Amino acid sequence: MTESKTDLKAFLARYHLQRRPTVQPWLLILVKILAVVIAFLCIGLFIELNGLSAPDMAGRAIKSTLGSTFGLQQIAQLATPLILTGLASAICIKMRLWNIGAEGHLYMGAWAATAIGLHWTAPAWAVFPAMFIAGALAGAIWMLVPAIARALWDVNEIITTLMLNFVAILWVNIFAINIWRDNIVLRSSLRIPYNLPKLFGSLNIGILIAMGLAILLALFLGKTNFGYEVKLIGLNRRAAEYVGMAVKKNILIVMLIAGAIAGICGVVEVTGSAHRLNSFLSNRYGYTGILVAIIANANMIGTIFAGLLFSFIMNIGIVLQAQGLSAYTVVFSTGLILLLVAIGDMLSRYQLVKVLINNHPPKEATPKLPSDEEPAELNE
Amino acid sequence: MALNRSSSQENMNDLHPDNPIHSIEMSDIWKQFSDVVANHGVDLQLHAGEVHALLGENGAGKTTLMKILSGYYRPDAGSVLINGQRVEFSSPAAAMRAGIGIVHQHFHLIETMTAAENIHLGWNDTPWVISNRKLIERMEAINRKFGMKVDTSAKVWQLSVGEQQRVEILRVLARGAKVLILDEPTAVLTPQEADELFQVMHSLAATGRIIVFISHKLDEVCKVSDRVTILRKGMNIETCQTCDCTPRSLARMMIGYDLISRQNRSKNTADIDALELRGVSALNDRGLIALKDINLKLKSGEILGIAGVAGNGQRELAELIAGLRPVTQGQMLLKGVDRTGDSPSDLALDGIGHVPEDRYNMGLVLEMTIMENAIMRNYKTHPISRAGFQNKIEAERFTNLLVEQSDVRTSGIQVPVQNLSGGNQQKLLVTREMHTATSVLIAVHPTRGLDVAATENVRNFLVHYRNNGGGVLLISEDLDEVLLMSDRILVIYEGQIMGEFDAAYVDKVDKEEIGLQMGGKRKGIKT
Repeated sequence: MTESKTDLKAFLARYHLQRRPTVQPWLLILVKILAVVIAFLCIGLFIELNGLSAPDMAGRAIKSTLGSTFGLQQIAQLATPLILTGLASAICIKMRLWNIGAEGHLYMGAWAATAIGLHWTAPAWAVFPAMFIAGALAGAIWMLVPAIARALWDVNEIITTLMLNFVAILWVNIFAINIWRDNIVLRSSLRIPYNLPKLFGSLNIGILIAMGLAILLALFLGKTNFGYEVKLIGLNRRAAEYVGMAVKKNILIVMLIAGAIAGICGVVEVTGSAHRLNSFLSNRYGYTGILVAIIANANMIGTIFAGLLFSFIMNIGIVLQAQGLSAYTVVFSTGLILLLVAIGDMLSRYQLVKVLINNHPPKEATPKLPSDEEPAELNE
Repeated sequence: MALNRSSSQENMNDLHPDNPIHSIEMSDIWKQFSDVVANHGVDLQLHAGEVHALLGENGAGKTTLMKILSGYYRPDAGSVLINGQRVEFSSPAAAMRAGIGIVHQHFHLIETMTAAENIHLGWNDTPWVISNRKLIERMEAINRKFGMKVDTSAKVWQLSVGEQQRVEILRVLARGAKVLILDEPTAVLTPQEADELFQVMHSLAATGRIIVFISHKLDEVCKVSDRVTILRKGMNIETCQTCDCTPRSLARMMIGYDLISRQNRSKNTADIDALELRGVSALNDRGLIALKDINLKLKSGEILGIAGVAGNGQRELAELIAGLRPVTQGQMLLKGVDRTGDSPSDLALDGIGHVPEDRYNMGLVLEMTIMENAIMRNYKTHPISRAGFQNKIEAERFTNLLVEQSDVRTSGIQVPVQNLSGGNQQKLLVTREMHTATSVLIAVHPTRGLDVAATENVRNFLVHYRNNGGGVLLISEDLDEVLLMSDRILVIYEGQIMGEFDAAYVDKVDKEEIGLQMGGKRKGIKT
């Protein structure tokens, strides 16, 4: 007993985890795919334990999501807000900022669009641009206070953006329940008389807006001086100050852009699928968007794929629920996938290395060769 | 935890916490970090009841030696004897149980907790459950026992630096320390606070404890210590009774006698003031005065060396000239034009380059590619930037030029800088800043941590830059480097210029004088 214990201890002492200096991008992607596969296998096992047939369920789930036009449309439809809120989080993560406020900006964007939709009668080609501009502005304005507080006084943006979400929802409720109240539909405003144009079937053009914005942002961040500054400030703020970059101005701009993107998301949602302003049109997209951005490593193009993956998983959840799997199992499954992806992401940044141990320093006074563990101590 | 305890008990047979420590003998201690030998067979004897000073320049191995004694490092070779018995500490906690405690230069306190909580944190004597009243009672008992006053209920962040240090000392004493190691304790204190500390040190030594006092201030060493051990380049030079020493003899032992042969270089003919500081003062990060009334002139085509022990205002001086630190008083002139208070980017545009002390966290962005690092200074100027867009072709052209000039060995310019060796990183940084610096280059510790070849490269770059008419402000802790490279030398101590030397004619007497001034002693002042 004691011997095996010491054996194990000796074995463990011989290895330790060391942070990799650089992680290859392909490794990060590979690990993510692997994590999703393992998660699906776990979920399959769980379904089998529930007395259902996993391959059967998987077949049906795939058939009704990837296997049908309607399923594909549903994926694209749900991916739209996830990509947009994902972008709003991702651009902030590039600057090492945590934007938890996309939910609130989404509601403010939706509110602004509803205000125009209900109070302005004009041709659709005039109304929609006005709605998008107003929605983007509303989102940006809602971000203004956290952005200024963060840029000038280093006030933690996690708290401020999160708190303002609740204010935004209450603000929307004043209008949905009171001012623009519809007497037929509970807790919702009147129907907005303008519908976002359809791409085909039930799918609206929101997905094009989301993808277009992602590509635009990718080009903007990749090709301009501003993008270079954002990258440098995010990676090393002291270096940015050393070359005299306007760090505060850039924080302000990036946060306002993030607010505007989430505001646009609100416009798409309220005119494309909800059609009425209410305090539950978001379905927590603002928070899911943070996860989308993390899975995408804050990469703009990656956000498109992460958004689609999330939408796929959520749609499968809906299908499985219809097949008699409990809602809790579905929540558990999505949680498991996220957890495994996060663990995989963490582990891919480390490698196992063998340690050179020396228990007994030599008695004679000769300088020793450097051993592997010492530079770490020097860095302390 | 349990394992640590048992293993330290094996070699602690009669080192019971209540037994006094009469003597400590460290003999032939070796310690190597990658390719730097920090301790080169050092011997040290400590006796009960003495204040023992460890004196030496930065990097002389003082802190390493004391970290070995207090269980942070294990020596590669050599032995530590307590009361004649060999010990090996597996952790700082094991050393603490044997009665050896260290107070670090940078405090390890939790600022949002009270002094009492900090002292009781992670201490075996702390009861599992304790009321706040009991905690304060215990704390007051500790205060009384060691005759020190620490506000028991104030949060640590509310305390002054001197009080925080007393909390640190009490924490170590409360755990039964019979050997108290203070690592540069006065670096952060005001003179009054330092005097109070010295009294505490003496009274603790009078109770039979051993006090080890690490410093490089000659004055303090003479004033406080009973004996002094001088370290230089990882070797112990001598241990002597402090009363037998003068600041002059200590300075001589600390910096050594050897003079370095300087290479011949072209005589500076131009007589243009590239940079001038007139009565400049500035604050450090904590809002205290770091530079006092600095006057200096840097001519085109010369290397002006700033000699001094770290933390005497060198970093602040470099940052001030680069525009990163506000000037509270005085004027800065660049080529005769007042540029006080200009932004770093404006100053860079007008020819001030800056090789910062901390190349990993400031000068370079390690995660970015060579190209992205190369264009850090001119990404916004034509032709790399066109109407707000980055011109990749021009950026590549500039980067290739820089890589060629700096002789950086790399497989391509899209490689992250962290994949380069330290020497190549520094060569890239220095070359980039030389491109920026059309008139003045500030180089802070330009060769620190580099191997011999890279050191040689960087020094050649600086001399080449000087010979082409640039002015270099060389700030280095390595006095030999300053002597080797400079045309003129200024000595800085506590934010003030102590004296000026013509580097071409520095002899042994001058070198001794520089050492004295670095330790805060001016010529002609008696000890």
